[in-house]
Amino acid sequence: MHKLAKFVKLACFLVVTTGLTSTFAQVAVSTWGFNMDLINEHITDTFVEQFETEILYDLGNNADRLTRLQLRSDNPEISVVELAPTFAIRAMREGLIEPIDTSRLSNYDALYDWAQDPLGGNHGIGFTVYSYGIVYRTDLIDEPITSWQDLWREDLAGRVSLPNVTTTQGLATIVMASQAWGGDAENPDVGFEKLAELSDDVVTFYARSSELVSLFQQGEVWAAPVLRFAWGSLLDTDLPLAWVAPEEGSVGFVNTVSIISGAPNVDSAYDYINHRLSQEVQSRLAMDIVDSPTRADIEVDAETAEQLTYGDTEMSNLIFLDYDYLLDVESDWIERWNEEIAQ
Amino acid sequence: MPRWAWFLILPATIVLVLAFVLPLSLLFVSSFFAEGGFTFAAYADFASSSASQRAYLRTVRIASIVTLGTIVLGYPAAYAISRVTMRWRVLLIALIILPLMTNPVARTFSWLVILGRTGLINNLLTTIGLDSVRLLYTEGAMIVGLLHLFMPLMMLPLVSAFENIPNDVVPAAQSLGASQAQIFVRVLMPLTVEGLTIGATLVFTGCVTAYVTPAILGGSRRLMLSTLLHQRASTMLDWSGATVVAVVMFLTTLLAMVIIQRLLGFLHSPRGLT
Repeated sequence: MHKLAKFVKLACFLVVTTGLTSTFAQVAVSTWGFNMDLINEHITDTFVEQFETEILYDLGNNADRLTRLQLRSDNPEISVVELAPTFAIRAMREGLIEPIDTSRLSNYDALYDWAQDPLGGNHGIGFTVYSYGIVYRTDLIDEPITSWQDLWREDLAGRVSLPNVTTTQGLATIVMASQAWGGDAENPDVGFEKLAELSDDVVTFYARSSELVSLFQQGEVWAAPVLRFAWGSLLDTDLPLAWVAPEEGSVGFVNTVSIISGAPNVDSAYDYINHRLSQEVQSRLAMDIVDSPTRADIEVDAETAEQLTYGDTEMSNLIFLDYDYLLDVESDWIERWNEEIAQ
Repeated sequence: MPRWAWFLILPATIVLVLAFVLPLSLLFVSSFFAEGGFTFAAYADFASSSASQRAYLRTVRIASIVTLGTIVLGYPAAYAISRVTMRWRVLLIALIILPLMTNPVARTFSWLVILGRTGLINNLLTTIGLDSVRLLYTEGAMIVGLLHLFMPLMMLPLVSAFENIPNDVVPAAQSLGASQAQIFVRVLMPLTVEGLTIGATLVFTGCVTAYVTPAILGGSRRLMLSTLLHQRASTMLDWSGATVVAVVMFLTTLLAMVIIQRLLGFLHSPRGLT
């Protein structure tokens, strides 16, 4: 009897509470879904408290979510989208996102310059940044790695892993290889030649950072270019590893938040973006190593900073690529990669 | 077939048409329309690219080797399993199914531990004084991984085919003076050829479409059709290009099915029991 009573109570409670919460306004946000428990704690819950608006999420990788936006472009249900660089440019070109009125965002001026308009035309605002550096085993590699060129060193042959061309950092890898050997993004021939030359000595071209972590763990890989957000999981392996900001510069990747063209509930969309950029949210997310902040006024302790893309020296070393150009050449470069570097 | 029987297949037919035939046809038709007109351009691009050609040949080669491998390894084992007592049979079949029930990523990562440079096999080689060899990220690793993964698809239909052979068939053949080899070729083979055909088709199709296992064990450097498909759909958002790969994969498995049936069909000839 007791159990039944408890059950009835619980059922009533659920009905009442779901009834209550659904009286809030709602705004739909398209994002990846990594660290969702922390995102809920630091963004979703604080947002509903402050604005009495619930956030509904559309989760998935960049490609899937962008495709869904394309299919619903006539009558969008989603108001806000968070995307990685090339996908954001693609969304902008297809008219899926609209210019943001930055005067409506009180937190806009607190952002680093490079975070204010990374796409152009105020189509997106950078809410997090991650750098691209090189990680290596300090116990197995005597002479420190300082530049991209070092990956071609004799003593590293057969011990290097590079990202696959289809990863977020794939195109950047071609650019940096070109830059290291005297070319640049517009003249990538030397980069392709050098990568083709290295290809046989590359353990594998990794597709996910989790894959790279196990490769380090298994002792397969001693050095690899890595995105900063994987650095924490690499440190967790307890291997003697070092992070290098290469002398050619660390490529900075900025993820952007944008408003969907013709979005419903635009006011809440602005509230969401402003909230995402607020000092409180940015510092809470930094503290829990979810996102590196794009505001200069976020303070974190040294241990946390180590796992983020953070601090004045780190920021001054960042270089930003021209994703508008990279999207133009993307399919050619992938074909070329398949022909010259893959087997 | 009595008329009411049609109603029994109706629900399954509706599901198949809506969830399989219809989308597949749409996919196929859409691959001929690019930039507003009917065109074979996407197919021509695919056929003329040397990377696609390599990926295609590698896919067919690996799928054929793995299919043959599962037959060679699975056939005798399936026979043996069908001959042991029920208790053992249940246990052995459970063991066969195990790889299918493990998460594909976890399963493939355990191969890293075995085949890696400091893995089980290489450790063994170095302890007995030999040089370590590169096993991982080779076509060999892909074949071993797929062989392990798809062995159950070959063995399950074979075990049930062997189980369906009446117990007195072999003694009957023996009493009529058939040698062991004759019993195998003229009695057992023809009676299990259906299981073999089903198994070979499932394994070949599985190999052509597998993504995780070849991607992790072969590394993304060794392109397969599934890798190309993933590149086009998930990175380039090139749906017509991805559709071409999907159609090529589909036609390849269809063709393979016909070939497998023809090849194995001759075993089913009246030289057998009749």
